[in-house]
Order: sequence, then C-alpha cells, then structure tokens
Amino acid sequence: MAAIVCKEITKRYGNHQVVHKFDLSVRENEFVVFLGPSGCGKSTILRMLAGLEEISDGELTIAGKVVNDLPPRDRDIAMVFQNYALYPHMTVFDNIAFGLKRLKVAKAEIARRVRDVASMLGLETYLERKPAALSGGQQQRVAIARAMIKTPAVFLFDEPLSNLDAKLRNHMRVEIARLHQSLKTTTVYVTHDQLEAMTLADRIVLLKDGRIEQLGTPKEIYENPRTKFVASFIGTPSMNFIDMVVSSQGGNFVLTSGETRLVVQKVRYDLQAGQTVTVGIRPAHLEPAGENRDNNIIAGVVDLIEYLGNETLVNFALGTVEIGALLDAGTSPQIKQSCRLTVNEKHIHIFDRESELSLICKPS
Amino acid sequence: MAVKSKSPVSKLVLAGLVIIAVFPIFWVFLNSFKQLVDIVSTTPKFFFTPTLDNYIYVLGRENVQHGLINSIVIAGSSVLIGAALGIPAAYAVARYPNRFSDDIQFFVLSLRFLPPVAVAIPLIAIWLDLGLYDTRTALIITYTLLTMSTIIWLSIPAFSRVPREIEEAAIVDGYGPYAVFFKVALPVAAKSLIGAVIFSFILVWNEFLIALMLTTSDAKTLPIIASEFTLLGRNVPWGILNASVIVLSLPPLIFVGVMSGFINSALKKKD
Repeated sequence: MAAIVCKEITKRYGNHQVVHKFDLSVRENEFVVFLGPSGCGKSTILRMLAGLEEISDGELTIAGKVVNDLPPRDRDIAMVFQNYALYPHMTVFDNIAFGLKRLKVAKAEIARRVRDVASMLGLETYLERKPAALSGGQQQRVAIARAMIKTPAVFLFDEPLSNLDAKLRNHMRVEIARLHQSLKTTTVYVTHDQLEAMTLADRIVLLKDGRIEQLGTPKEIYENPRTKFVASFIGTPSMNFIDMVVSSQGGNFVLTSGETRLVVQKVRYDLQAGQTVTVGIRPAHLEPAGENRDNNIIAGVVDLIEYLGNETLVNFALGTVEIGALLDAGTSPQIKQSCRLTVNEKHIHIFDRESELSLICKPS
Repeated sequence: MAVKSKSPVSKLVLAGLVIIAVFPIFWVFLNSFKQLVDIVSTTPKFFFTPTLDNYIYVLGRENVQHGLINSIVIAGSSVLIGAALGIPAAYAVARYPNRFSDDIQFFVLSLRFLPPVAVAIPLIAIWLDLGLYDTRTALIITYTLLTMSTIIWLSIPAFSRVPREIEEAAIVDGYGPYAVFFKVALPVAAKSLIGAVIFSFILVWNEFLIALMLTTSDAKTLPIIASEFTLLGRNVPWGILNASVIVLSLPPLIFVGVMSGFINSALKKKD
C-alpha cells in the first residue's frame, strides 16, 4: 500500500497558482526527495502534506486515509523544520517530550522513550540544556529526535541541513541516511541541494514552477534527464550546452557548430535535418582524444583551470560558449595550451531548442 | 551586559552619565531624612543628623494612606485587566493578520495621540452620568483604556518576533491554538511582554492629569495627594515633599523588581 498519494494537488493564493495538479505516489518505507530551485513550490507541497497549508484542490491520502481536512495532529506525521524550530524556553528533554505530553503518556514511559531516542542520536548528555546552549548540528539532532519520538507513519523534512556549515551538513546527511536505513519510516525530504537529493533519495521529484519536471531514481535523472532544466540542475560541475545544427548523413545525424562536428546514430535520437538543437555534455564525460581520432572532437585553448585534487576542471571557449571538462589532474593540459577532447556517443544529450525536451528516443 | 567598554575614557563618560541620572534621586532620598534647616542651608549638606519626621508626617496622614491604597488598587487592577485583554489581542493581530490589523493598531494608539485633557473632559461627563464620578471603578476603567492600548502596541512586535516555525512545530506536535498560545508563544515572548506590562504600570502610576479631573476626594491617587503638599503656602515643606516623592517612587520600583525576578525565575526554571 502506498504511504502517501497526492492526486492532482493544487495550491492557489488568490489568483496566483503555485502548485499545478501535483500527482505522486510514495511507497511505504520510501525516501522521496523534492528537489528544485527556490520558489518551485517544493516547500509548499511539503507543508500541504503536513497540514500547515490548506490544499486548494485535489486529494491527499496518507496511510490509506484522506487527510485533506485533518489537522496535522491527526495525520500521523512528524516534521523537521529548516530553522530547527526548537522551543527556546524548554530543555532538550522537554522539547523532545512535548508531543508525548499532550498524549498524556505516563511520565516514566516518556522518560524511557526520550532516553531511547536521545541515545540513538547521541544527545544523552545534553538533555538538561536549553537549545541556545547547543551547536547547530546538535539542535538539528534534537529536532530530529522530536520527530522520531512520535513514531509517525511519515517523516517530513523541510531543508533540514541548509543552515549548517558544509562539513556538518555532510555529517548530518550520512546520519539521516543511517536513520532511514534503521527506522525505514516513509520520508519526504525537501532540498535545493542536488547532492543531498542524489545521495539520500530512493526517488527524486524534480520541481520547477510548481510542476514536476521529472520523477525518477537519482540514476535515471542523472543519466536520462527529460529536459534541459533537469540536465542543468543535476550534476556538478553542471552540464555544457552547445547549440548545433542537424544534418543527415546515411545512418547518422551530424551536428555542427563552427568547427565542431558530432556524429550520432539516427536510431537513438528523434531529429530532423536542418533543425537547431541544444547538445548537452557533462564535464565528466569529456576525455582526452587519441591522436588518430577525428570525429566527436571538441577542442579549444584552455583559459582557466580549477584544481580539485584528483581532477581538474579545465575551461575553454568553444565559439561563444564556455566548455568545462573534468580531467585527470595528472595528465590535464596547462593554461593556454590547446586541448583536444572527445565524448562517447552514449553520453551526448540532445534537447529541443524551443521546448527544451530531450530528443533521445531510446534511452541507453 | 554584552557591551564591554574598551577604554578608561569610555568608562569615565559612562560613570559621569550615571551620576547625572542618579544624583537627583539620591539627593531627594537624602533630603527626605533632613530637617528643613539642613535642606535650605546655602551650602549643600552631605552630613547631618537624620530624622524620620518627614516620613512620619507623610505616612501618618490619612489622605496619604488612602491615596496609596487607591493608587495600588487602581494601577494594579488596570494593568491586570489591560494585560489580560491586551496580550491576547496583540497575539491575534500579530499572528492572524487581516485587512483591519493596521487600522486596529492605529486606532489603539490614537488614544495616546490626544492630549489627556481631550480624553478626560468627555470621560467626566460619562462618569457623572453613570454616577461613577470620583470612584475607583471609573479610574480603573479609564486607566484600562491606557494600559490596554499601550500593552497591545508594545506586545504586537514581541509576538511577531516569535518564529512562526516554532508555533508550527507545536501544531505538528498536536497542540491546538490555545495551547500554542499559552505553552509556546506566551513564554517565548514573555521577556518583552513583561517590559510592556511594567511600562504600562509606570504610565498609570504616575498619571496625573486625568486623575486630577476624574477625582475630587474618594478616589484620589497618590500623585494628586503628593501635589497637594506644594499647596501648603509659601513656606514649601521640602522635607515632606522629598519624603512623599520617595513614597511615590517605591511601589513602581518594587513592582519592577518583582517582575524582573519573575522573568529570571521563569527563564531559569528547568521544567
């Protein structure tokens, strides 16, 4: 049975529609991430799931029960907020126990459960402190403990790591992944950080302007982006885009832009001769070309090098666009040297210039 | 204090300002224990034989005792009622804004824009008609208008500063709107709210003009009684005046002390 079913969920503020007929079915124990730029409606949808925001239209089912008109407390959910939202006047213990106190759980039982949750998250020594006396990471752990103690059917996370510094964020991300592995609670997690989405999600819902841009596993979304927007949003460094003109040559399409010429098999793409398309190539898929290779060559003079340790991000101009390539740090060319790169045909993405939809007809 | 003075010069300046602010009060305090001759001597006297005569005179007078009780009852009740009505009102305006919120805020404060006389004259007519002129009830109700508007005005920003997410967390934790108000919003905003309550208390405790116009004998408050000491003729009884100023100043000080003690204990409380 699906844990959460959204059927044509819509959100309007007056005449302004921010979420358009959102359809999603989250399976039991699944970890779903809503990913998108700010203003894409991801937090609004999460808040509608939580019951903090009214649903303008559509039907929301949680654990088999239509919850559209139920208050948060009757939805069997728990939520972790971006700013932790701890009660500043209560100790960590009281923060965690606050939800149970309303349910009139016996004192001894509350104490036992708080201690259980606190020990899972390494908070035992902080129980008597006030939130202000904790670091950001500890506060976020308290917020997670407060959500966990209610043993809800669904966890909702609203950008829980965005207030933490980079190192702590990585650490907490791993902790959240571990927690989900052990608790298996169905989780909906909102973020604008594609790395968080890729590493945590069973499935990613990529949103743009209140609509689903693509829904799939991180691998599906990375390898077969449905639109140019998805392709540019996922993956660091981000994908290179080159506008090219299509011509037909036997069983192949030839894509040209200035000196650059790419040859791809007709069966894989849905193209017309004479059409202008946007070609996308990830920096990681560019590799040094052998001497005697002469097709699918992208070449230029290096104008910027960013050293990343194992790899360097080599930048050069190709016509009017700047191309980035992730190359092995040991063999990468130096600045002002020319570099000659190639790409495997299966890593070439082609998008319609107008609709920005992918023109790959047979995903590899 | 979080601010640390860095140089001795800034400490000196600070000390100077504190002396300027506190010295007159200190001098009044000193004078309240002096005989009249020590007060009116041409060289200021720091050393003298203290006397309690001034206090005995002031506190011994029946109208002072009566005024003190009036002031405590009237200021206390009007602050209590003003807080009980004003704090929830401020919360409602801050948390559930509607198209009238701005008007409500302006209207509430407009009472304070008018000169007190303009407020007092119609009130005289109203209380006379109702047969409540020169009663504590009339003053309590009148002062409640002042305390309530002040408390609402000062409490709205206090509640606006409570992060909305904290209240939402409480809602997700299962609490209804009243519980969210009493268990989360109120304690989190308490520090600023108590400031508002203290301010409104001082406002009505020191209020003079309206009290002067709305009372003739029974409901006179302490400021009115104290002012009457100056009407005793050309021979100003300085010692008595100073003693009455101290008597007048003590209750607000005690009130502030009690309230801030209450804040501290509330904030330190473990449970």
